[in-house]
Amino acid sequence: MNAFIARLAGVALATGMTLSAAQAETIRIALAEPPSDEMAAFFVALDRAKANGLDYEWTAFAEEELAIQAVLSGDMDIAFGTPYAAMQRSKAPVRIIFQLSKLVFFPVTTKEFTTLKDLDGQPIMLHSRGGGTDSIANVIEQKEGITFGERSYVPGSGNRVAAMLAGQGNATILDLSNRNKIIEEAGDRFNSLPMFEVKASDEALFANLDWIKENEEAVNILVKALHSTWSDMAKDPTIIRRETSPDGPIGQLPAEVLAEIDEFYTEAVAGGLYDPNGGGREAAKADMEWYVEAGQLEGDPATLNLEDFWYFAPLDAAMAQ
Amino acid sequence: MLKHRPLMLKLLSALIVFGAWEIAGRVPVSYAFPTFIDSMAALARMTFDGSIFVAYAETLQPLVVGVLISAVFGIGLGLWIGLSKGFEWLFSPIFIVMQAAPLAALIPLLVMVYGIGLTSKVFVVCIMAMPVIVLNTASAVRNTPASLKEMATSFLAHDRDVLLKIILPAASPVIFSGLRLGVSAGFIGAILSELKITPTGVGDIITYSRSIADYPSMYAAIFSIILLAVIFLNLLEKLEDILFEGNNRGYAAD
Repeated sequence: MNAFIARLAGVALATGMTLSAAQAETIRIALAEPPSDEMAAFFVALDRAKANGLDYEWTAFAEEELAIQAVLSGDMDIAFGTPYAAMQRSKAPVRIIFQLSKLVFFPVTTKEFTTLKDLDGQPIMLHSRGGGTDSIANVIEQKEGITFGERSYVPGSGNRVAAMLAGQGNATILDLSNRNKIIEEAGDRFNSLPMFEVKASDEALFANLDWIKENEEAVNILVKALHSTWSDMAKDPTIIRRETSPDGPIGQLPAEVLAEIDEFYTEAVAGGLYDPNGGGREAAKADMEWYVEAGQLEGDPATLNLEDFWYFAPLDAAMAQ
Repeated sequence: MLKHRPLMLKLLSALIVFGAWEIAGRVPVSYAFPTFIDSMAALARMTFDGSIFVAYAETLQPLVVGVLISAVFGIGLGLWIGLSKGFEWLFSPIFIVMQAAPLAALIPLLVMVYGIGLTSKVFVVCIMAMPVIVLNTASAVRNTPASLKEMATSFLAHDRDVLLKIILPAASPVIFSGLRLGVSAGFIGAILSELKITPTGVGDIITYSRSIADYPSMYAAIFSIILLAVIFLNLLEKLEDILFEGNNRGYAAD
């Protein structure tokens, strides 16, 4: 009996070791939401990386915070997000390696408002407390010297569009594609207010620093693929639709969604949503200023050390080639 | 010494749990897991600046309304179901389905029908709390010893007397255990609704603290709701002690 248990334990141990060995070679990517058309470019980059020998698997989480926590606890290797607060407060050794998209958002209001100053004291609909649109509202308040009225939180740009169309709000902040949608549908009722340029990151790719150093080769392949995809996309946004694998998670989306990919990326590239150079030091500096002003980071942006938040080596290597 | 033994054991049990929490936070098991002391410091800060009270003023609305509705209607319906076979067939399947339903997945449906306001949140609390109260009450009533009822009838008791003097006291331990389970579920429902519908009250502290990586405040808010639930369950037990003195056989939650 004892011999049997010992053998069983041995088999279990051996299986566990084989599994962990296999996992070490496959990088585990945490998505903050299920794959959507907005992730098509990322999956194109993943396919390019795969062609260069990168093995990956992805898991979609229900919320960005869960994806961040999965990386913090080591269950996932790489995730999307801007975990500046987590890096500073919990001293988690995670670093950003690539800026996926910039915080390109637009204040959209009913026709009675024409400038940001008019919004002084007005209630506004935002995504979530402490989220990206909340930080944009904070910075607008500081730059324009105004104070918004009551902030109500309606997660999802699409839901805020629906609420605006139903007359449940007079002001909100929307992403590029939803801004275009609402102005196209009801441009006679809504204004898209002029907005200052923001270079700070909305989504960035980050990972545990130790893991990055241990898997330098895989990380370099991934960042190189992202850089090449982002550069090619800047020249011709339609490559995303053309390179999307029909068998991948994006290729499996409904035909109506796929039909809009070209339009989405053409508008996004024209709207400056993506930096073909992956952000790098310029984005890191902009992030410091932005997130300090938005209240997510503490300290003086000029003295915060960029290396405490970003790891530039893979991007530098990709740019050098 | 023996008199204080339950208290000592409870303190020891709390010490073990909080000690394990402190150690897990110090290791740390994850960068997102704070120590017990940090969490308590955050709780003290929220208590002194009053933010936790503002949050509870918001969270207690759906919780109190939902738990009251569930308790009153739950016990009423449970008695009815337990006393009548016909009503059992009519109603108990509904509550069994409610109990088994994956509530988090059904929340979008509730929001579609009742919007994002208080009504939806009260519904979530009721769906969590009511089935266990109804089903426990019904089965307790049904399982009243037949000999007691026969004794009452042979002493020419009216139906009302049988209900109030025989069935209710006999069923009360199980009714109260249903209430305790239902109220705990109601607490879970209230927080679930604040996390899944719109972040308000304690749910807002949890989501906001998580988004700015203030994990001690996040765990402090979770701890506070557990603490409140434990206090409330103790009060419920005191109520049972006052109403049905004979029921007290020593519970762990004393």
